[in-house]
Amino acid sequence: MHEALLTLGFGLVAAAILALSAVAFTLEYAVTRVANLSHGEILTIGAYAAYLMHQWTGSVLLAALGAAAAGGVAALVMHTTVIDRFVRRGVGTMPTFIATLGMSFVIQNILVIIFGAANVAYTIPQGAPQQVGPFLWTPAEGEIILSALGITTVLYVIITYTKFGKALRAVSQNRDLARVSGINARLVATATWFLAGLVAGYAGFILAESVGTFNPYFGFSFFLITLTAAVAGGLGKPFSTLAGAIIVGIALEFTGGYISASYELAFAFAILATIILVRPRGLFTNARRTIFE
Amino acid sequence: MIEYLLSILTEGAIFGIMALGLNVIWGWSGDFDLAYYGYVALGAYMTLVLTIGRQPPPAQYILGLQLPYLVALLAAVVSSAVMGLIVGLIALRHLRGIYFSIVTLGAVYVLYVMAGQYVPLFDGYNGLSGLVNPMGDALGLDFQSYQYFFLGFCAFIFILVFIFMAQVSGSRFGLALRSLREDERAAAAFGRDIYQMKLKAYVLGAAFGGLAGGLFAAYLSAFNPSAWSPIEAIVLYSAILVGGRGNIKGVVLGVAIMIVLVQESTRFLPEVPGHPTIVLALREVVIGLVLVLFLRFRPQGLLPERRYVDRLPQDHTGLGVDVPSLRGPGTSDHHSNPEQGRDQHSTHASPALPAIEAAREPTQDQPSVSTSVPAALVVEGLCKHFGGVVAVDNCSFRVPKGQVTGLIGPNGAGKSTAIDLIAGFKLSDAGTIVFEGTTIQGLPPHRISRLGLIRTFQTPREWPGLSVLENVLLARWDPKQEDLWRSLIGPGLVRHSISELELGRAREILAEFGLDKLRNERAGNLSGGQKRLVEFARIRMAEPRLVILDEPMGGVNPVLGERMVTAIEGFIAAGTSVIIVEHNLPFIERVAHHVIVMSQGSVIAAGSFESLRANQSVIDAYLGEVPYE
Repeated sequence: MHEALLTLGFGLVAAAILALSAVAFTLEYAVTRVANLSHGEILTIGAYAAYLMHQWTGSVLLAALGAAAAGGVAALVMHTTVIDRFVRRGVGTMPTFIATLGMSFVIQNILVIIFGAANVAYTIPQGAPQQVGPFLWTPAEGEIILSALGITTVLYVIITYTKFGKALRAVSQNRDLARVSGINARLVATATWFLAGLVAGYAGFILAESVGTFNPYFGFSFFLITLTAAVAGGLGKPFSTLAGAIIVGIALEFTGGYISASYELAFAFAILATIILVRPRGLFTNARRTIFE
Repeated sequence: MIEYLLSILTEGAIFGIMALGLNVIWGWSGDFDLAYYGYVALGAYMTLVLTIGRQPPPAQYILGLQLPYLVALLAAVVSSAVMGLIVGLIALRHLRGIYFSIVTLGAVYVLYVMAGQYVPLFDGYNGLSGLVNPMGDALGLDFQSYQYFFLGFCAFIFILVFIFMAQVSGSRFGLALRSLREDERAAAAFGRDIYQMKLKAYVLGAAFGGLAGGLFAAYLSAFNPSAWSPIEAIVLYSAILVGGRGNIKGVVLGVAIMIVLVQESTRFLPEVPGHPTIVLALREVVIGLVLVLFLRFRPQGLLPERRYVDRLPQDHTGLGVDVPSLRGPGTSDHHSNPEQGRDQHSTHASPALPAIEAAREPTQDQPSVSTSVPAALVVEGLCKHFGGVVAVDNCSFRVPKGQVTGLIGPNGAGKSTAIDLIAGFKLSDAGTIVFEGTTIQGLPPHRISRLGLIRTFQTPREWPGLSVLENVLLARWDPKQEDLWRSLIGPGLVRHSISELELGRAREILAEFGLDKLRNERAGNLSGGQKRLVEFARIRMAEPRLVILDEPMGGVNPVLGERMVTAIEGFIAAGTSVIIVEHNLPFIERVAHHVIVMSQGSVIAAGSFESLRANQSVIDAYLGEVPYE
């Protein structure tokens, strides 16, 4: 029982990081209908930015802000140079999807050219583990969980109560209808990608911090887990995605903790395949249908 | 130098086979498969564990046999095909688009993680090695001549694969496969079992991936997780895209450019001291950029997929050419569907060429459902709800054979859902649907279509990337011609896989609809009205027993409307019963013998148009207070 609680505690840390990455991914999807295969690279860029910032200033806070800013800029560039051009051209979902894979490939290798392919060790003093309720967390882990809670609350407020959030929801429901209703869909999409980039960049920082090492491919392997969480919750729905991320994060920690961490990716996909087959539109929607419905 | 040239060419041949295999899945069947490199890897691993024998511990792996290379190569093909079958069975059943891609990405990562982590399988990260010059010893070749031999061997297999692909490309199977890529719903509506066909294509592609993998293993003489990554499929995708998706010559060109040239050029770049990975990374950047740029600016590639071009003999005038119907000599109103063996049914078909006016006479005086005419379709107690919304609610009606039945009703009455339920595109919650004596509810769309019930769609669903003529030819589903294995032994050009008889019939139909000048045009380039005509032409070609036309007059100008009236008369004359869902009431009044009115999910009235005009509930629900004039 005690061990299970400990695992649950670590699972919550993993879930917090996963939640931020997955919510950012699902926001990108919501406004452009593009499953961004280069989403992981935003996290990678965030990690490198945090590392450089930390080395330069020595401040963890500035490192976190630097990661978010770099992620935001990366997402903005992705959206303006590629995604938006594809979306406006109306080429359809698949070509854009394939293009994001190409983009991921390009960014990974640009990072290899700049920083080399070797692992970068990134260790921040974690502090001594402390008992928090039934869980055992280091202060850094506590910060991760608190910051994730804070960010999701802010996102919740933005999406639910602000005018921008309303426009975001309108664009995600029906982009054309939103446009004829006087919403600048392109601006909303650009702003949403920037916002998602900020969150994903920060997620890259806390991921690098808790893993302790990263390289140019680091975001992509985590992206595969992100994808599982987002699809499990329901693509394009931020709050369902959040729930999906918590479930997947904890589930992975348990399989990793009890069976073997090296199979984590395989487990993630076993979960994903099961969900997608049983509930193609996410855990929180109903009804099986024929392929044409 | 010569050694270098040999290795580049060998690699080109192997990647050519890989890309041609992937082209079946992505180029023709249209599925963006991210698992493909897994089939290559599995082929390579299997070839090695079957040829290198046991090696001293700590190396451990399955099998460890010392089979002849060719046997191992065959086994590699089979194992990749089996894995393709398993993945395809899971991923193709309900998933399309990005969901399919995500599941295949998952599948290949499971393989990648297992191969890397589970040591007893393929010795984990150490991988396998020791396949040196397979077949070389038996042939007594020294190292120098072996390289020539192995290039020749790979080139020979590549040529065989290319011929095979040319054969598939030109076959009816290949053409039908492309129709799935272009529009799956329409393909199902015209009798294609999309799941089965996509699965065949998928397994076929995976098998060629395994073949290429087996050759690759011999070329590298070793294979391990650092030799491959699931994402390497992107290199193959960029090659196919650059060359021309779906065009096998284009695919080969793409491999020559992306894999041979780009690879070659990077070898001439100066090495950056201290950064050995830079040149390789630069190459990958180029590959990724090329992929994005081609997707955006030239998605059809350098050599676009070729459509079949029909050149008419000079004396062909189009109209009035006497070409026998495909149904059989002289009996244009008789059916001979080979699968259903329905020849006995055809004897009771409607009288020869009844003009529409003649046919409607008897019913016009009968306000009630014409029970004297046998039913083509009987719907009883049909129900369908979406969440809390009841779309079709205990809906029952009867469609007389050999007549035109109008199905009208306000928006949201459940007409479109009813059509989807009848044609098998949605599953009903309750009720029975009987089509000419056969219970069809619960059957998949292609089975219903093969029974002779074909539907059209509210927005035309042509196969946009195929020519107008190909669209019409594909309306006829022929299990014999479209069989994959049969198509391999037949003539491998689209031109030859079409019989003169059906070509003549298709030309005749196109002329009838005034589309003969456009027959080689890409169907997606036509105007909305012309696309409607293509749909009608497809129905003519398919010669169903019953056709359901879903709002055929939507966005159609009056002149075109006249053509449609004539076409509908033609359907009746050919023994096809017709259901028309339409909001254009003058049109319904003109063509329909019998009208069914739906409102709020069920039938509120049925009878002749005249009788309905006086029906108060119809006025309330649909016609409005001022009776339509």
